[in-house]
Amino acid sequence: MRRAMPARISAALLLAMGGGAALCLLAPSAQGADAELGRYLSSECTTCHGASKSDSTIPIIHGLGEVHFVEVIKAYRDKALPNPVMQNIAARLGDEEIAALAAYFATAKKPK
Amino acid sequence: MTNITRRHFGIMAGASLSALGLPVLSAPSLAQGKPRVVVIGGGPGGATAARYIAMESKGAIDVTLIEPQKTFTTCFFSNLYVGGFRDYKSLTHNYDKVKKGGVKVVHSLATSIDRDKKQVVLAGGVKVPYDRLLVAPGIDLKFDSVPGYSEKAAEVMPHAWKPGAQTQLLVKKLNALKDGDQIVMIAPPNPYRCPPGPYERVSMFAHVLKKKGHTKSRIVILDPKPAFSKQGVFTEGWEKHYPGMIEWQDPKIHGGIKGVDAKTGEVKTDFTNYKPALVNVIPAQHAGKIARDAGLTNQTGYCPIDAASMKSTVDPNIFVVGDASIAGEMPKSAFSANSQAKVAAMVIRAELTQSRAFPARYSNTCWSLIAPDDDIKVGASYEPVDGAIKASNAFVSQRNESADLRKQNYKESVDWYNGITADIFG
Repeated sequence: MRRAMPARISAALLLAMGGGAALCLLAPSAQGADAELGRYLSSECTTCHGASKSDSTIPIIHGLGEVHFVEVIKAYRDKALPNPVMQNIAARLGDEEIAALAAYFATAKKPK
Repeated sequence: MTNITRRHFGIMAGASLSALGLPVLSAPSLAQGKPRVVVIGGGPGGATAARYIAMESKGAIDVTLIEPQKTFTTCFFSNLYVGGFRDYKSLTHNYDKVKKGGVKVVHSLATSIDRDKKQVVLAGGVKVPYDRLLVAPGIDLKFDSVPGYSEKAAEVMPHAWKPGAQTQLLVKKLNALKDGDQIVMIAPPNPYRCPPGPYERVSMFAHVLKKKGHTKSRIVILDPKPAFSKQGVFTEGWEKHYPGMIEWQDPKIHGGIKGVDAKTGEVKTDFTNYKPALVNVIPAQHAGKIARDAGLTNQTGYCPIDAASMKSTVDPNIFVVGDASIAGEMPKSAFSANSQAKVAAMVIRAELTQSRAFPARYSNTCWSLIAPDDDIKVGASYEPVDGAIKASNAFVSQRNESADLRKQNYKESVDWYNGITADIFG
């Protein structure tokens, strides 16, 4: 899994840049994400994000694009984004875990 | 005395269990069915665990939640009701969505646990068998930890440390105060539910008094501890918003809390006798009675657990989450309970259905409101390290933060409340 990560990230970045070819690259890497791990880790996020609305301070993350998700979590991990709650959550997430979470939330529906 | 079987639970939902004549099913026939998880306590720990086990096992595990009350009023955010920021109704939640999520909710009191037979005994004698039991009874108050205090005395000097009528009584007494009246709070010793809670509550007292123009009123906190959670930023906030109104006394100042007299309304310390108009006594605490009676507690009065699973170190078939557990460096909070419940739910599923197990991850954040739009927070991540739950990446609000940041914290706390209550109750 760890060796697969660079391909995933580069695919994600290509997509972020608008590269059409990235779509082809993204699909196989998304399948490589650890779905069960993503689902387990997501329960930590749901505590705060599970009832978010469009105007909430805590944003909706269900359905968030994978690329954006990875970028934001890594920015929190690097403390480039300010909220200490999110910095704290992101601090212990490895790249593989962030990828698993991103893949999970990309298709997850907000709890009803 | 009868056993409850899975077959009969559907019929009994909402019915009085003891009123029904139930057949006894032999142990072998029970063993042939789905694994059974019973959860005692429908608060942040218990309801979260029940929901997650039912949701994630997709019907492979039979989940029963035993909770005597038909609605649950949260202790967290009850200070905002004290301060007039929320109404009581907004803190009250029902179990409709927990039931819809596949959990059998039995509104009855669990009176004891027969660990040898792996059964929970309900009021009326009905027995509920389990393969795994999750115990989340919260705390009980040790009334006699404050001399003169009792359950009866709490009708005059409310603790309001368990949600419900006590919180409403405290608010009634607070709103009846006149300018110049004094409030005395006796704060609890460690460890207790919601470490910043007493100090947020005092902030809310002061806010109500200030709003009413009570410039002559004073609040005294008699604390058995030498320090308290988020002390630096609480103290800064009190000086800013309520100058001269709040006096915090540690044991060096009051010399020892000698006791209360509910008949005369007096509070005595080693140095002073107070006769305040409102006394809020928050006594010492320990794990809920059912956990103590079942022998799940140690000399601390709380339940020792395995840091990687929240499993009781006393009984491998029992898990304890929330305020009743000894969760290392995690504070006793709804956030902690909710977090612990998810780890326990994951481990229970793995044990009963061979689903995948993952390393335990815990987290907590506690928000506290000092004044309108001035909210502070403290939090950390937690993981098992050398057999104990240890904190990492801890953070706490700092002095001299911008008003915008504090306002953002408050909005965040409101969104968190909506999120976590949806996570707990569906």
